[in-house]
Amino acid sequence: MAQIITESLVESLARERAFQLLDKESAYELLGPFDGLESPHLVAQNIVPQFDDGMIIVKGTLNGQKTVIISIEGSFQGGGIGEVSGAKLAGTLEKVIKECEKGNKIYPIIIYDTGGVRLQEANYGLLSIAEISAAIVALREYVPVIGIIPGKVGSFGGMSLTAGLCSALIMTREGRLGMNGPEVVEQEAGIRELDSKNKQLIWQMIGGSIRNEASLADILVEDDIPNFKNAIQNILSGEVELRHRTKQVDHFLTLYKSLDLSDKLTPNQAIEYLTTETANRNEELQVPNEIVNSTGRKWFDLLTDNQPSLSEIPSVLVADTTISGVNARVIAVVPNPENKYYRARKGEIGLLEGWAIAKYVRQAIEEDSNKTEKRLIIPIVDVPSQAFGYHEELFGIYLACSAAVDAYATARLSGHPIVAALVGNAISGAFLSHGMQANRLIALNDDGVNVHVMSKKSAAIITQRTIEELDEAAKEVPSMAYDIQSFNKLGALYRLLDGVNAKEPNSEDKNVLVHAILDAYNDIKNSTDRDLSCRLKSDIAQSSGRKASIQVREMIDLQWT
Amino acid sequence: MEKLVYSFPASKSIDHRAHVGVVGSGDLEILVEPSDEKKTVFEIRTGITGFEDTWKKVIERFVSQNDISAFIRINDFGATPGVVSIRLAQAVEVTTNGSNHN
Repeated sequence: MAQIITESLVESLARERAFQLLDKESAYELLGPFDGLESPHLVAQNIVPQFDDGMIIVKGTLNGQKTVIISIEGSFQGGGIGEVSGAKLAGTLEKVIKECEKGNKIYPIIIYDTGGVRLQEANYGLLSIAEISAAIVALREYVPVIGIIPGKVGSFGGMSLTAGLCSALIMTREGRLGMNGPEVVEQEAGIRELDSKNKQLIWQMIGGSIRNEASLADILVEDDIPNFKNAIQNILSGEVELRHRTKQVDHFLTLYKSLDLSDKLTPNQAIEYLTTETANRNEELQVPNEIVNSTGRKWFDLLTDNQPSLSEIPSVLVADTTISGVNARVIAVVPNPENKYYRARKGEIGLLEGWAIAKYVRQAIEEDSNKTEKRLIIPIVDVPSQAFGYHEELFGIYLACSAAVDAYATARLSGHPIVAALVGNAISGAFLSHGMQANRLIALNDDGVNVHVMSKKSAAIITQRTIEELDEAAKEVPSMAYDIQSFNKLGALYRLLDGVNAKEPNSEDKNVLVHAILDAYNDIKNSTDRDLSCRLKSDIAQSSGRKASIQVREMIDLQWT
Repeated sequence: MEKLVYSFPASKSIDHRAHVGVVGSGDLEILVEPSDEKKTVFEIRTGITGFEDTWKKVIERFVSQNDISAFIRINDFGATPGVVSIRLAQAVEVTTNGSNHN
């Protein structure tokens, strides 16, 4: 007789999901609701918190193998990542890295049900997602990191970038995977670009079934607990080959260079393109006639003494130089008004830009692989956002961003010092992809330097508040503010440089930045850390900026058995 | 957000602590912890303001049917009185039978 009773994962709450998957009697929860680690930032804004901040950590065994499941509660604040919830996820992965280093293999599984950064905590989400990404990249060297996207929410925003980093992804037809949610794309790009009410089209673009057909998700399962367990087992046993998509730079970059966007491509065409070999497509991009002298380009020219870019993508500038005797590769993303990806013409990070960053960072890793002195890498950060567009979502912009994150994190782990220079906007997925994986962050103290996760207009729509209410809330919670002084209060900056003209820099301004970069470089050289932990060790972070993040990690240590 | 606190005399102790629900649309989260004091204390945080009278009635009804010495914390995200009562009943069940997992 056919089995007709199914045990649904999709319909269950985050905690139930974790307990359902793990072997009975083996599972115990860490930092559960009775520990009362709720979000201090929601309370400060008069928003009802949840006792576990919507992040559930359950440790136990799965088919007898040591496993830890980190499950995001999509019903609470759309599964948004705040300081506490983000630290619970990042801290758990960091703990697993330490265990694996000692030879104690534990398999991490992340159950995604999240809209990305929790907008009410904004830059805390950004910092957390950078730390989660860093941990996944480090952890993949020891064990496969498995991501499950069951639905209802799916996985969006910065968290989609971390999903792209997972060794393997399991989805259901009810799961969705994309960077910018359809409502945000419509808000930013207009209804002609994407009608967020056209649900059928949206499922055909980013639904689990399509992502699986397009070979962006590894396993598609029907919603029943045994199916998920089998899928996990098949990944761990090696039966499902790990595809390492973020390392397939040539395939994706060649594909995106060759696409003809004069008409909107259909979801079926996208599947065909994504699953076909790209070796025989070899198109060069046109050299743009018009050069936009953006802040990022000015600083790139200054730092490289006007060297020509060696990059094949006009919107990503790359050059090698020496800075006071230190070999360095400088990378900037700049506007290209003739970019055929018309949603990425103002310096946004889109499909081409993400993969181009990945290409040139990986090139440096390869070229320096036998050298003891690895090249310093300097991402110049002046990025208004990731690209919001139909084709971007259809073809997986999240993965382009994952690829950039992966490349930077891999470079850092293999000993390349990375110092990011924030000279302009450092926003959302674009900042995560270009800058946030640096060992040290340096920012210019200028009103043109901003760090945030979403335009005020979109953030107001998503959180159902007015822009005035958002501004009011930002006074109480610095992580919600856009200016660099507020970001500095979170303790993640190595230096905030005063007295530098960010928009029209001259050689003196250059000297100030170069001096700070060299300081950071020496600081990295004198340290044994190759992770992002210095952001939690600064005086500001310890005394105020990241108190909750630190406390969460200490408690994970205490409760881990 | 509104904070409401209620306290009622109680006599019976409970065996287990309990956690049920989620702070999601139309739902609430309840945490029940045993207390040595002979009281049922409620600490409620709700995002829907101005319904103190309704809360009082729902809680009084619960206390009239359940005698437990406990500290009960509630995070509410717009649950109806019916949902509140069902979640409270569910929480009491867990305090008798133990964890709702495993």
